[in-house]
Amino acid sequence: MTQPEVRGFNLATMTDAMLVRRVLEGDTAAFTTLVDRHAAACTRFAMRMLGNREDAEDATQETFLRAYRSLARYEERHTFRTWLFQILINRCRTAAVRRQRRHRMFLVDANALAEASVRPAAEASDIRAELQRAIDALDPEQREAFLLKHVEQLSYDEMAAATGIGVSALKMRVKRACDRMQWMLREGEASDVGT
Amino acid sequence: MSEPDDPRWLDDVAGELRREVPVRPAWRARLLDEVARTPTPSLRDDIDDTFDHRDERAGDRGRRRWSISVGPVGSLAAASMLIALGAGATYVAMSRFGANTRAGAGRTAVTAASPQLASSAPASTEREVVRFELAAPRASHVALVGSFNEWNPVATPLARDPASGKWVVSLRLPPGRHVYAFVVDGDVTADPSAPRAADEDFGSANSVVFVSSPRT
Repeated sequence: MTQPEVRGFNLATMTDAMLVRRVLEGDTAAFTTLVDRHAAACTRFAMRMLGNREDAEDATQETFLRAYRSLARYEERHTFRTWLFQILINRCRTAAVRRQRRHRMFLVDANALAEASVRPAAEASDIRAELQRAIDALDPEQREAFLLKHVEQLSYDEMAAATGIGVSALKMRVKRACDRMQWMLREGEASDVGT
Repeated sequence: MSEPDDPRWLDDVAGELRREVPVRPAWRARLLDEVARTPTPSLRDDIDDTFDHRDERAGDRGRRRWSISVGPVGSLAAASMLIALGAGATYVAMSRFGANTRAGAGRTAVTAASPQLASSAPASTEREVVRFELAAPRASHVALVGSFNEWNPVATPLARDPASGKWVVSLRLPPGRHVYAFVVDGDVTADPSAPRAADEDFGSANSVVFVSSPRT
């Protein structure tokens, strides 16, 4: 029996898994749909992790290109989003390490740089700037766990798959990140009152 | 935003951090250009570019992997030492316990041919017939896609049942949880009569069917 040709497929209604299959069958337009679905969330996560748009866009671009090249290895055990975040997390970790080395190499005043990287853009609100400052002050591991859980809203199982870290350790990191954030925001308010 | 002592503080903080970061059109265009220049991936590919050495260094800081490389002369010396050690250990064992190597071999053969091992294999191949049906009177083509057919929209077409007017197909599925959807004239749609999959993928919602083992 010959299989019917499927014409006029509505890419917008296709699940990620179907789009992956379409790409692997040669329909590269399906990958554009995947990019449009996930680029904003990936850029947001990378920006919150790395603190600036330039590094975030580089990490996100590299993530999509790596995902594209390795698409045949995607397995449906996890959602495409989880798989994509697995790559993105690694790109962000690498970018952070690379940036640390770069800073050391040029003997830049770390404190001044940290100030500059969190300084709010002119249009950003004070609240957003304060939040970004608090996020930046977290340990990278805690920041990663906090963002995945509370901002990207991944389940702990998805987080474990994406990070390669056990669920209990992730819960602990999220808890510590929350405590630290709460403390920092409270301190920030106290210092605002004092000024 | 609520105060840090307010129980709602986390919702407010997360809500603020969840604000969309718009994708710059120039960045998107550059990415898609790069994608167009990259060889098209295919099902036959075995490229794993998701993780590299630099990632490993970044992700596993402080964890070191050790390996020992030995040249050809070293390999020969190591092999001789292992043979000598093995022969020595065997001699000691035989002299202490009076072991009979033929009897040992016989026990191993019996274990390998045990009926438990032989009977456990076919269980995973047992399948149950599952009937999928959808009322879509105006549709001209309906297909079933799911984890069981790799979401292939041409693999499992439904046929219209003349008696009920519904689109139907029956499949033999292995026990377990299966996520699926219908493709109705090109649009993916969930099964209105089935529960939704909790781990919803992007795009349209999926449905889920649980197939129990034929033995239970």
